Amino acid sequence: METDIEKDEDVNGPPRNAAPWLLRLFTLKRDKGTRRIKLITLGFALIYCVIAGKLIYLGLHPELRQEVHQNASDTVAAARPDILDRNGAILATDIKVTSIFAEPRRIIDRDDAIDHLTAIFPDLDRRELRDRLNSRKGFVWVKRAVTPEQRQEVYHLGLPGIGFMQENKRVYPNGPVAAHVLGYANIDGIGISGLEKYIDGEGLADLHDAGFNLTNEDLRPLVTSLDLDATYAVRDELAKGIDKFKAKAGAAAILDVNTGEVIAMASLPDFDPNNPVDALDPDRINRMSVGVYEMGSTFKALSVAMALDCGKVTLNSQIDARESLRYGNFTIHDFHAQHRFLTVPEVFTYSSNIGAARMALMVGVDGHKAFLAKMGQLTRLRTELPESAEPLVPKHWGELNTMTIAFGQGLNVAPLQALMAVGALVNGGIMIKPTFLKRDEEDAKKDAPRVIKPQTSESLRYLMRLNAEIGSARKADVDGYFVGGKTGTADIIVHGRYAKDKVRTTFMAIVPADKPKYLFFTMLDEPQGLPETGGYRTAAWNAGVITGKIIARAGPLLGLAPRFTPPAEPFPLLAQLGYTPANLPAPGSH
Amino acid sequence: MVRLLNVLAIAALVSSAIYAYSIKYETIFRGEQIVRLHQQIKSEQDSIAMLKAEWEHVSRPERIEALADQFLNLQQPALKQIVPITALPDKPDARLAAQSIAPPPAKGADGKPDAPSQDEDSNTPRNPHLAGDETTPN
Repeated sequence: METDIEKDEDVNGPPRNAAPWLLRLFTLKRDKGTRRIKLITLGFALIYCVIAGKLIYLGLHPELRQEVHQNASDTVAAARPDILDRNGAILATDIKVTSIFAEPRRIIDRDDAIDHLTAIFPDLDRRELRDRLNSRKGFVWVKRAVTPEQRQEVYHLGLPGIGFMQENKRVYPNGPVAAHVLGYANIDGIGISGLEKYIDGEGLADLHDAGFNLTNEDLRPLVTSLDLDATYAVRDELAKGIDKFKAKAGAAAILDVNTGEVIAMASLPDFDPNNPVDALDPDRINRMSVGVYEMGSTFKALSVAMALDCGKVTLNSQIDARESLRYGNFTIHDFHAQHRFLTVPEVFTYSSNIGAARMALMVGVDGHKAFLAKMGQLTRLRTELPESAEPLVPKHWGELNTMTIAFGQGLNVAPLQALMAVGALVNGGIMIKPTFLKRDEEDAKKDAPRVIKPQTSESLRYLMRLNAEIGSARKADVDGYFVGGKTGTADIIVHGRYAKDKVRTTFMAIVPADKPKYLFFTMLDEPQGLPETGGYRTAAWNAGVITGKIIARAGPLLGLAPRFTPPAEPFPLLAQLGYTPANLPAPGSH
Repeated sequence: MVRLLNVLAIAALVSSAIYAYSIKYETIFRGEQIVRLHQQIKSEQDSIAMLKAEWEHVSRPERIEALADQFLNLQQPALKQIVPITALPDKPDARLAAQSIAPPPAKGADGKPDAPSQDEDSNTPRNPHLAGDETTPN
């Protein structure tokens, strides 16, 4: 044994100072098979070298194998939560579809693959597909969201390098109904606009980026404030109205004044989120929140409320409207000029520009500005919808601006913003920010500021009810719902001056006027006068009529019980102040 | 004694090996079953989601309205037709109630309304199942 070791050491020549036990471990007994053993050792050493080399190679190029799945999970459409209406009806959901992908490096015969694939998908462009398959990428899509039959056909082709992947596809079962609120998500499952974008902003995108493989079941559905049936009814009536009055566009909405929830909203023309090719067309913007407009006479409600709330006028005050109001070389006329002193209710029902301007002047420029700021009319209104617009506020706000803004000219606001303000005027004086998510009244009023006195709010309700009984809002006075309303007709500015033949009409209605629950709003862009409206194109004849139809149709859907006996004491605070039924509107006097 | 112990030990070894293997295969079997059931649940969930979306699509107000206009002989409900429960007339007394309830079983025991052919306007094509439906075209 010892001699063998000695000899072995001589042959291989390991360092003599190595520990003897180590040497003994690596020495072999020399016999006849030494050569053969050496050969085998060499063989194994080579094999291990190859394995080690391959491991190092794979370690240096990790993307080779994992690339396909990495790319796929990056591009595969992520799961999104369902969007429901307030009653649980589905507004947007995910369905599973199969998509076909290719790994160009693994395709053997490209031309053959292209021939077969284009035979199954005639809409695939040959040249584009060839470019994609010739790319150096490890993963390319061939066709997203295929039908089960097409999937089966491709499966039977058995092409190497072509695979299938389950994907989520976003569908909107109701098509264009509520499209502007929902927005849409693109084919990769990324929210592009509306609530879909809001969902991504709320952390969904972060979760996906962090690599969480979420499924639709993991995600809590988003419950919106919308009522699907009411939204459909609003959109349908608006579409009929636009058609009838040959308007260019229009918008309508229902707001719950006590919770700030937007119950229904429609802006036409709109788009189908299932196929949003024209969603970015500037004509199809959400007119309720992205468009800013001069609201016209509906703004007088704000001016009257301001004057009443400051105590500058009472309901019995007389306002001088004997002649047109001159300021510099600018003259303010009345559309229904009475040429006499008007009481505050008359200013409202005759929609007197002069009266509104005089009331605003009583409060003064600074007071007017502060009041409008308090009512949220001078700053951008931000809701859950990512699309919003800054109001156009005059840079130099002088007395003339105050006079014109008092009757709705010279200040452009988003209609939703105006709705918010009128909602606060009639709900008892509490400013509640509109929301598109379901919430209850307690939650809404938790940190909502009071902006006007309850008594002012009741006066406004009284004025709007009066206007529906004897004033310009008669067309919307649906029997049984005790409607209150205000019309607004604004001339549209074309090339810097007001065009006399183009108007934008708006209508706001509260239901019921004694204890408002809903605020209805309709706006029409350039409605035309019709023979049956006597050629009039003012708001009462078109927006008012449409609002009346919406109230009659959506009221029962929203669970509003009609009452055919007028409420015994609709305005108790006013009654305490001595406004007896004599100067309240007589029931059924219209 | 030692031999007996050996035999016992071998027997215990063999039986524990058999037991361990049976447990192992059972586990594998159960594991496969779980995977299969998970897949089944997933595909059921997917098809439920699909069917929900489809139901929502076919029951969308737009389509129901068009169908109602075509097949139902009903008009838009007027607000006058909606009354609170307190506005209902008082319950008639038991004898009257019995009389008023008695006739329907004579017409049809299943409680279905009469065929539309008995209506005054039999010229309009109507679906007999939908004709008696209380659904409003909304």
